[in-house]
Amino acid sequence: MSDTESMDAAWAWQPFQPSSERPWDRSAAAHLFRRAGFGVDLAGIDSAVKLAPSDVVIGLIAQNQEPSEFRSTADTLAKATLAGGDPKKLSAAWVYRLLNTPNQLIEKATIFWHGHFATGAEKVKDARMMWNQNQLLREHALGNFGELVHKISQDPAMLIYLDSAVNRKAHPNENFARELMELFCLGEGNYSETDVLQLARCFTGWEIKNKRFRKNRYQHDSEVKRVLGQNGNFDGEDGVRIVLEQPAAQRFVVRKLVRFFVSDEPSPTDAMIQPLADLFRENDLQVAPVIQRILTSNAFFSSIAIGRKIKSPVELIIGMLRSLNGTTNTPLVAEGLLNVGQGLFYPPNVKGWDGGRAWINSSTLLGRANLIADVLNDDATLFDGKSLSKYLRERDVRSLDQAINHFEHCLLAIPLDNATRSRLLETATSRSSDQDRQMRSLLHAITSLPICQLT
Amino acid sequence: MLISTNQNRRRFLRSSIGGAAAIGVGSVLPECFAEAATAGKTMDDRVLVVVQMSGGNDGLNTIVPYADDDYRSARPKLSIPKTDVLKVDDETGLHPSMTGMHNLLQDGLFTVVRSVGYERPNRSHFESMDIWHTCRRKDEPRSDGWLGRFLDRQPATSGGDVPALHLGREQQPMAIASTKIRVPTVKELAEFQLRGDDKQSLRRLLQNRKTDSTEQDNELLRFLQSSTTSAISASERVAEAASTYRSDVKYPQTDLGNKLRVVAQLIDAQLTTRVYYLQHDGFDTHAQQAATHGILLRQWSDAVNALVRDLEAHDHGKRVCVMTFSEFGRRVAENASEGTDHGAAGPMFLCGGCVEAGIVGKRPNLADLQDGDLKHEYDFRQVYATILEDWLGTAPTPILGNSYKSLPLFT
Repeated sequence: MSDTESMDAAWAWQPFQPSSERPWDRSAAAHLFRRAGFGVDLAGIDSAVKLAPSDVVIGLIAQNQEPSEFRSTADTLAKATLAGGDPKKLSAAWVYRLLNTPNQLIEKATIFWHGHFATGAEKVKDARMMWNQNQLLREHALGNFGELVHKISQDPAMLIYLDSAVNRKAHPNENFARELMELFCLGEGNYSETDVLQLARCFTGWEIKNKRFRKNRYQHDSEVKRVLGQNGNFDGEDGVRIVLEQPAAQRFVVRKLVRFFVSDEPSPTDAMIQPLADLFRENDLQVAPVIQRILTSNAFFSSIAIGRKIKSPVELIIGMLRSLNGTTNTPLVAEGLLNVGQGLFYPPNVKGWDGGRAWINSSTLLGRANLIADVLNDDATLFDGKSLSKYLRERDVRSLDQAINHFEHCLLAIPLDNATRSRLLETATSRSSDQDRQMRSLLHAITSLPICQLT
Repeated sequence: MLISTNQNRRRFLRSSIGGAAAIGVGSVLPECFAEAATAGKTMDDRVLVVVQMSGGNDGLNTIVPYADDDYRSARPKLSIPKTDVLKVDDETGLHPSMTGMHNLLQDGLFTVVRSVGYERPNRSHFESMDIWHTCRRKDEPRSDGWLGRFLDRQPATSGGDVPALHLGREQQPMAIASTKIRVPTVKELAEFQLRGDDKQSLRRLLQNRKTDSTEQDNELLRFLQSSTTSAISASERVAEAASTYRSDVKYPQTDLGNKLRVVAQLIDAQLTTRVYYLQHDGFDTHAQQAATHGILLRQWSDAVNALVRDLEAHDHGKRVCVMTFSEFGRRVAENASEGTDHGAAGPMFLCGGCVEAGIVGKRPNLADLQDGDLKHEYDFRQVYATILEDWLGTAPTPILGNSYKSLPLFT
């Protein structure tokens, strides 16, 4: 079963039952934690292996809101950066959340929605608006998609980004209406150019005044419109509702979720998508049941998923740190992410990050290795508050060989081959006798390997 | 010692193709390898360097109609005296600080297209720049730029050398925004190198292409492996370029000069990058224009001259074209603070071994203005169309959204 074509769609989404051929072991649990979040340490992996996989997933899904204590700490940090108004500082505050959240699935899904409803601070320029949108995405990350779309259609950052901050009856702005159908809800081919024009009329009068959304009824076109086959004196809410009613909506969103959580390529077949699309609609466009079904499925634990995605920069760097209980210099990571193509709050355009092979070119590959080097060499980088070698020693990891095993369990979706293993050993041994330096060098080498760019 | 480019290329091919063939993955070799193997001076081998003059360059004081009385009367303080211009013909001269361009022109390596603009000119820096970058107006969706769309239409080379590079600290220009490819912005060459004191061993580790069965059935892993190999080769070539690159050409010690020297090094290192994008900022000369404008033009003219001479000396002159543009020209009449305000049409410039040297277009008619600005004779997309078709060898219409009459800009 090397591709989705040969996989039976019904079997694919049925619950994964561990077997001797596909056991629920460290490797499978680490895969789940990497995809449902960024990764956990070996102790976390080992305690998950003692539970049933479905129970672990249910536990992850149940954490659908941040605990108030963490939230208040993370919010305080983020709000402290708002005073300066520089969205770049906000990126570092998000890095803090990614590194420290007890609910990794929420942050993973928030990044998914950030790429989906991509809004760039380069254009919006207002840190507070970007922050408010980020909170909106986080709050609904595992909630109701329809509700999220309604809210995002009135989100100041989004409307500024899509040139829709002033939408007048005489000149309806088509940008938001178009992207709502093309990129947010339906996908190309599921609406006509007339639908774009008509839908744009529904949103007239929607504007941002004093950084807040408001409806200007004098600028609203109150004539009858015909949107996606329906006639009426629609306003923007009606427009969003009609778009969400389209059967293409469930397929479009589910396809993107499958690509995000299961595999980049090949693109899942329609047959594979349909059962999840049905589930999504039956649940009134609630996201959590779909993600739960994905994460507990045969497909998710099969060879079409494991090691079949290219790590995003966030997954690479946050994954390395979270797997080793690391903390670091968050502005350094935020800046580094921007340099290797995934600046938080700085998606490349309204389509968001394409992901997959698009993450990779000679500049980003070197940039990834350098970012890891910078992080490992930064004085602020600690593992459980200690040096890397001390952290490992406390886990009975004393030799380079044991360290390779430890990193392999936490970080790699595909086991190392013997040749690479011995080359890694050579590389690390040739280094100084300073054990901490050796361990960091080894970690740098492993995380820079092509195989570690896969998840 | 000067290392010949052919030697570089051969060495590079030996290291990459030899290694790849050894593991039997010839079919997944990045496009650039195959291309480099057969490359002559074909269309695929050609490079476009874009220099953006940000802020609105005063075209009238760049390509000066020194014999025009209307010019003198509109600019009692700012007009360039007849005796100072670098004469091109009986009515036109270059700004006196543009000796570099004047030399290029005399050697047949410099082309000016006069009065380039577009309908209903927008005098906002950002909006006008966006129009130049995307070829689209505000009311149209514009998620990518004209060069980004060009890149999108190239055969997929992801994993190979970057298809385009933005050198600088500024925000990445929209012109190279693409839907498929993330064009890197490189602030300095050091970013193209592995960092850290274990970089030597890391390079050896990453470059080792020995493989096993796991890799064979995971196409993504093979892709990553070959991408990594080519990244390491590219960075080695860049490092070698930086350390062994010798040039008799003296680049000016300016930001633009330094960046263009890097461009020359990268081109000489046989990177398959097609587009280099750089910005030269400061042209928003509303007050006390004369001194500032002279300095900016000198920096540009000297740096581009150095690049073109350098490329010629390294036998790349015929495969590189440098295009310079600005988002608009400036108002014909000077303002009260010895500066000029935002205008409309202005000149564009092409430099290189393949340009049809000279001045294209009529002398601007200063007696027939539109809201105080020059009317455009050519749409900027005509220049783009010419570059796309005659230089980069691709059909311009799908990229520009419309068909534009091309101009005789290349030999």
